[in-house]
Amino acid sequence: MKCRKVLPAIFFGIVLSISTFLIAGEQGEPGKLLMNTIDSGLIILKDPSLQGADKTQERKQRLWNEISPIFNFEEMSKRTLGQYWKKRSPEEKKEFVELFTVILKDSYIGKTDTYSGEKIVYITEKQDKNYSTVQTKFITKNNTEILIDYRLINNQGKWKIYDVIIEGVSLINNYRSQFNTILLKSSYGELIQKIKEKKFISQK
Amino acid sequence: MRTSAILAFLFLSAICLYTASASTDSVPVSESQSNEMVRDTKDSGEDTANKNNELKPIQVELESAFDREQSQPSEGQPTEAVSDQEDSDNDTYEDTTGDEEYEYADTELNVSVIKDPIQPYNRKIYTFNDKAYYYVFKPMYTGYSKVVPEKARLSIGQFFLNIKMPIRLVNCLLQGKFKGAGTEAMRFVINTTVGVGGLFDPAKSKFHLERQDEDFGQTLAKYKLGQGYYIQWPLIGPSTIRDTVGYAGDVALNPLTLISFFIGPIEGFVTKTYDDINETSLGKGKTYESITTQAIDPYIALQDAYIQNRIKKIKE
Repeated sequence: MKCRKVLPAIFFGIVLSISTFLIAGEQGEPGKLLMNTIDSGLIILKDPSLQGADKTQERKQRLWNEISPIFNFEEMSKRTLGQYWKKRSPEEKKEFVELFTVILKDSYIGKTDTYSGEKIVYITEKQDKNYSTVQTKFITKNNTEILIDYRLINNQGKWKIYDVIIEGVSLINNYRSQFNTILLKSSYGELIQKIKEKKFISQK
Repeated sequence: MRTSAILAFLFLSAICLYTASASTDSVPVSESQSNEMVRDTKDSGEDTANKNNELKPIQVELESAFDREQSQPSEGQPTEAVSDQEDSDNDTYEDTTGDEEYEYADTELNVSVIKDPIQPYNRKIYTFNDKAYYYVFKPMYTGYSKVVPEKARLSIGQFFLNIKMPIRLVNCLLQGKFKGAGTEAMRFVINTTVGVGGLFDPAKSKFHLERQDEDFGQTLAKYKLGQGYYIQWPLIGPSTIRDTVGYAGDVALNPLTLISFFIGPIEGFVTKTYDDINETSLGKGKTYESITTQAIDPYIALQDAYIQNRIKKIKE
């Protein structure tokens, strides 16, 4: 019966010695910018004066003002439309950027209603000239971990996000697949119509 | 006594696997990776060069796929490149999630390599599933969430995850991830003992042993099996031919299936459904909603999210 006591002891010793610990890498310029923006966003979400259902609109607006400057909406629109972007007139491009910004605002800010102590942790980042990928980890209050990568592009010295990848699912790719499917069968006008209808539904 | 013997055996095998893996870290995988890398570099050069030529054939091919026709690629280099892409369908998608590609050109190219010839049928199933989710499963799990506190649901989820260890362990082994297999075995031992029969996850919180999310579909992908057509299964949801085969393998390895065999099919079914509902209440439902409600075409949004997420898991 001795082995009953010895075995767990060995076992724990070995397990402890092999267990690895995450060592946070050094943050570069894009990483710092991103994490600072996330932090200031979290401050708004945690702000006690902005809690409650009646403050929802104000909170959302302030959050949006805080985080929207870090997104490059034109780059995002360009990438979602892909080959169809070049065929658009400047007015059409402008209209599309506006519409797509609304979609992104909806999907980003809409989720903040249920904030309850989630954490966002910086993991690492890779930079290649004017492009950078910052990897972060979103930890929910149940300790579920969701990997979120931010792709940033350097435009005249300013780093801005052009794609968000959640558990391998790229936001831009996802919308591009949708828009392409629609554009293969119908005209650009119909796509715009569909987006506008959608916006109407989500505002109801 | 018997259980402790089993645990001791698992633990010892875990150590063996761990030490064995130290030097040889997944041979078959690295080989395939190097192949892909060669392909990628070759591609990116060509792709950017005749990007515009290639886009058209893809479109044509897609359109014909929608009409459920078999497209016969004609001669010429561009079409060849397309069929090349089709053969190894993950590669193109990997371009977007890979590390080196930042080029605008290839983000245009991977428009849709998902083969979906039965889309009209799939869309019908999707509509049915969506209705089933909102009218049946969502009321079920919201009611369940009200009765059972979240902490209890988390523990129940942990318990089921712990029980399903054989799926992850066997697939780690099949993929040559010996370290992963060792981790899984150790996790099982720790969580079954210290974690009170798998109700908690001290292996992760105390020992930093992460769950190895491997399944049979990923194993088949590692063995270079193409993903095949995209399929929407009633109630199960998005899948591909490869993942459907994999799903069958996972069911066979799932200890809950044993209940169906040895105790009774109804009990087995009930346990599995319960597992599903518990899992849905812990965030799976929310994920589904956030993907589809923000979408312009929810069917495509879900399809794309599924395929992209699978590719990420296969790469890991």
